[in-house]
Amino acid sequence: MRRHGRKTVGLLLSGVMMLSVLAGCGGNNSTDGESANGGGKSDGETVKLRMVESLTSPKRTELLQKMIDQFETENPTIQVELISPPFDQADNKIRTMLAGKQDLDVMEVRDLNVAEFVNNKYTEPLDAYAAKWSDYATVTATAKSVGTVGENLYFMPSGLYLRQMFYRQDWLKEKGLEVPETWQELVDTAAALTDSSKNRYGFSFRGGPGSNGTTDTMILSYNGDNVNLDDSQFTKDGKTIYSTPEAKQAMELYMKLYKEASPPDSINWGFSEQVQAFTSGVTGILLQDPDVIQSLQQSMDEGTWATAPMPKGPNGKALMAAGASGWGIPSYSKHKEEAWKLIEFMSSPKQNTAFSKDYGLIPVHTAAAEDEFFKTGPYKTLLDMGNQPDVFVSYKPAFQYPGTGQWGQVSAESQQSFLLGKTSLDDLLKKWDEYWANEKTKMQK
Amino acid sequence: MNNRKLFIVLSLVPALLLVLVFTCYPFFKGIVMAFQEYKLFDLNNVPFVGFDNFKAAFDDPKFMHALTNSAYWVFVSLFFQFVIGFALALLLKKPFRGRGIYQGFVFYSWALSGFLIGMIWKWIFNSQMGPVNDILMRLGIIDERIGFLSDPKWAMVSVIVANVWYGIAFFAIMLLAALQSVPGELYEAADMDGAGTVRQLFSVTLPYIMPTVITTTLLRAIWIFNDPTIIYGMTNGGPAGSTHVLSSFMLDKIIYAGDYGAASAVGVIMIGILLLYTIFYLSVTRSEKVGDF
Repeated sequence: MRRHGRKTVGLLLSGVMMLSVLAGCGGNNSTDGESANGGGKSDGETVKLRMVESLTSPKRTELLQKMIDQFETENPTIQVELISPPFDQADNKIRTMLAGKQDLDVMEVRDLNVAEFVNNKYTEPLDAYAAKWSDYATVTATAKSVGTVGENLYFMPSGLYLRQMFYRQDWLKEKGLEVPETWQELVDTAAALTDSSKNRYGFSFRGGPGSNGTTDTMILSYNGDNVNLDDSQFTKDGKTIYSTPEAKQAMELYMKLYKEASPPDSINWGFSEQVQAFTSGVTGILLQDPDVIQSLQQSMDEGTWATAPMPKGPNGKALMAAGASGWGIPSYSKHKEEAWKLIEFMSSPKQNTAFSKDYGLIPVHTAAAEDEFFKTGPYKTLLDMGNQPDVFVSYKPAFQYPGTGQWGQVSAESQQSFLLGKTSLDDLLKKWDEYWANEKTKMQK
Repeated sequence: MNNRKLFIVLSLVPALLLVLVFTCYPFFKGIVMAFQEYKLFDLNNVPFVGFDNFKAAFDDPKFMHALTNSAYWVFVSLFFQFVIGFALALLLKKPFRGRGIYQGFVFYSWALSGFLIGMIWKWIFNSQMGPVNDILMRLGIIDERIGFLSDPKWAMVSVIVANVWYGIAFFAIMLLAALQSVPGELYEAADMDGAGTVRQLFSVTLPYIMPTVITTTLLRAIWIFNDPTIIYGMTNGGPAGSTHVLSSFMLDKIIYAGDYGAASAVGVIMIGILLLYTIFYLSVTRSEKVGDF
C-alpha cells in the first residue's frame, strides 16, 4: 500500500513536471496568441506597449521612466513597460527579441545597427507617421539624416552626439600655449604639455575599442574636400580614403601623437580610461561626445577645463558626423499607432530638450539652439561648429555596409600593431584600403 | 511490470527534455552553423559553405596565435593555481584563531564574476593610474612605468596573473575538503615509521587525495580553456591581438563581427581539442577513482 502510494505520487509529480516543462517551451506561442487578441480589441481598452532601451545607464533609465510616467498620465488608456537590459548586452538582447518576434512596440535603434535592422526587415518606416506630426517641421536636418536609410526614416533620434575638444585651460596657460586649431597644432601642443616624469601627458589617447574615432576622423579631415560626403569611406573619384597620400600624412602624425604626447599604456585604453585620465589630471586634451560633460563638471574644478571645436586638417576643414540613437517601431508590432504616439511625445520639443539637458546631448529640434543652456558653457562650441558648415563639414558615416560592424575591431587591432612597430605604415593603409574596396565590391554585387 | 516501465520512462522525460532543449539543441545548432555563412547583418540568407569557416580560421594568423596562447593560458595558469591553492589548503587544514574569516577571504575571489575580475585587474595594472606601478615606483624597484597591458611582452603575463588569482580559491576549497577526509591514523602510522613532514606529504597525503587532484585539474583545465571573461574584461585580446585565446577570439567574432558561422567553427575546433585532451589526460593518469570527491 505504502509502496503503491509512493509510486502514484511519483507518477503524478513527474507528470506535473513534464507539463510545466512543456508549458515553458510553449510560452512564446501562448503570449503571442494573447497579444494578438489584445491587439484586435484595443479600442477603448488599455493598450500595453513594450519598449526596450539600448544605451542603458541608471540615470538614463530614470529619465526615460519619468517621461513615460508623464505620457501615461496624459494617455490613461496606454501603459508602457520599459525593458532596460544592461548596456553591454542590450543590442544582442534586442536582436534576439526581434528574431524571435517577441512582443515589442518601441525599441532603441542606433546609427550603428539601423542598416542591419532594415536589411533584416525588422523596422517599420516612420515617414507616414512623421508626416502627420506637427513638430516634425522643426526637427533638424542632421537628426533626420541620421535616422534615415535610403529614402525612409527608420528611427527618430532622441538626441545627437557630436565630438568636440576638451582641454586643460590651466595647463595651457601655465605653458603659455594657444588652444590648438589644427591636428598639427594639437600634436605640437600635446607634446609640449607632456612630461612623463610627472606622469603628465598631452593627449587622452584611445588605442583600444573605438580608436577609429580618432584615426578615421584624422584621415577624413586630411582628405578634406576630396571625400565623398555621402559615401564617406571613399573619395570623389571612388578610391578609398585610405589610399591617398593625405591618409599617409594623417597616420604619420597619428604615430607622433601616440609616441610623443600620449601615455604609452593608452594603446589599449577604451572610453572609461580615456575619460578617467583626463578627469584625474594625467592628460591635458580629450576628444569626446557631450555626454561626458556632466562627469567632467562633477569631478573637475571649474575654470581648469574648457571646450573648443574639433581640430581641422591641413586645408582648413574638419569632417564631422553626428551620432545618434533613437526610437523605432518593430515591423511586426501590433500597436503601431500607440507606439508612434509615445515616440512623438518623447520627441516633442519640450520633452526632448529637457532630456538632452539632463543627459548631455544636442536636442533634435532647431528651436533648442535658442535656449540659453546650449548657448553658453561647454555646449556652446557644439552649436558654433554647427553654425559653420563650410569649415565643419558634415558627412554620412558608412553604416550601410555590412562590414561597418567589424570595422572598429579590425581598425583598432591593426592600428595597435602599427603603433607597436609590428606593421609598417604602408601595410596598414593597404590593409584598410583592401577592407573597404572589398566592402564596396560586395555591396555592388 | 509494464506499469513500472512506464513509470521509469515518464520519470525520465522531464530530465531528458531539459537536456534536449538546453544542451543538445544548442550543441547541434552550433555544429550546423559552423558550416554556414551565418552573419547578423543578413539573417534571411544563411547558405551552407562547407569547410570555408574552418579554412578561414586556420588561414588566419590571429587564430594560430590564439591557439598557442591558449596553451600558455591553460597550463601556466593551472600550474600556479594548483600549487598555490594546494599550499593554502595545507595551511587552512590546521585550526587556528580566525580561520573562518581567513578562509572567507581565500574563497572570496571564487564568488566574483570573471568579467568583473578582468575590470578590476585592468585598473590594478593600468600604468598611469594603477597601484602596481605606483608601488613599484615608490619602492624604487622600477624607474619607468611598465605598460603591463599595453606591452605585448607583459600583457599575456598580466592576464595570467589575474587568472591565477581567480582560480586559487577553487583548488583551495576542493583540496581542503579532500585533505580533511584523510584519516588521522595514516599520519600516526607514518610517524611511527619515522616519516618526516615532507615524506608524509608525498607518501600519504598526495596518494590519498590523488583522485580529487586528477578530477579538479581536469575540470579546471577545461574551464580555463573555455573562459574568455577575464581576458575580455582586461585587454579585449589586445594590444594587437596579442592576448587572444581561442575562447576570447570566438567571442570577438560574435560581438564585433556578428559572424556566428566563423565563431561556431572556432567553437567546434575547441570541442575537438578538449575531447582529445580529456581522453589523453584520463588515459595517462589512469586512476580508477576519478570522479570521487
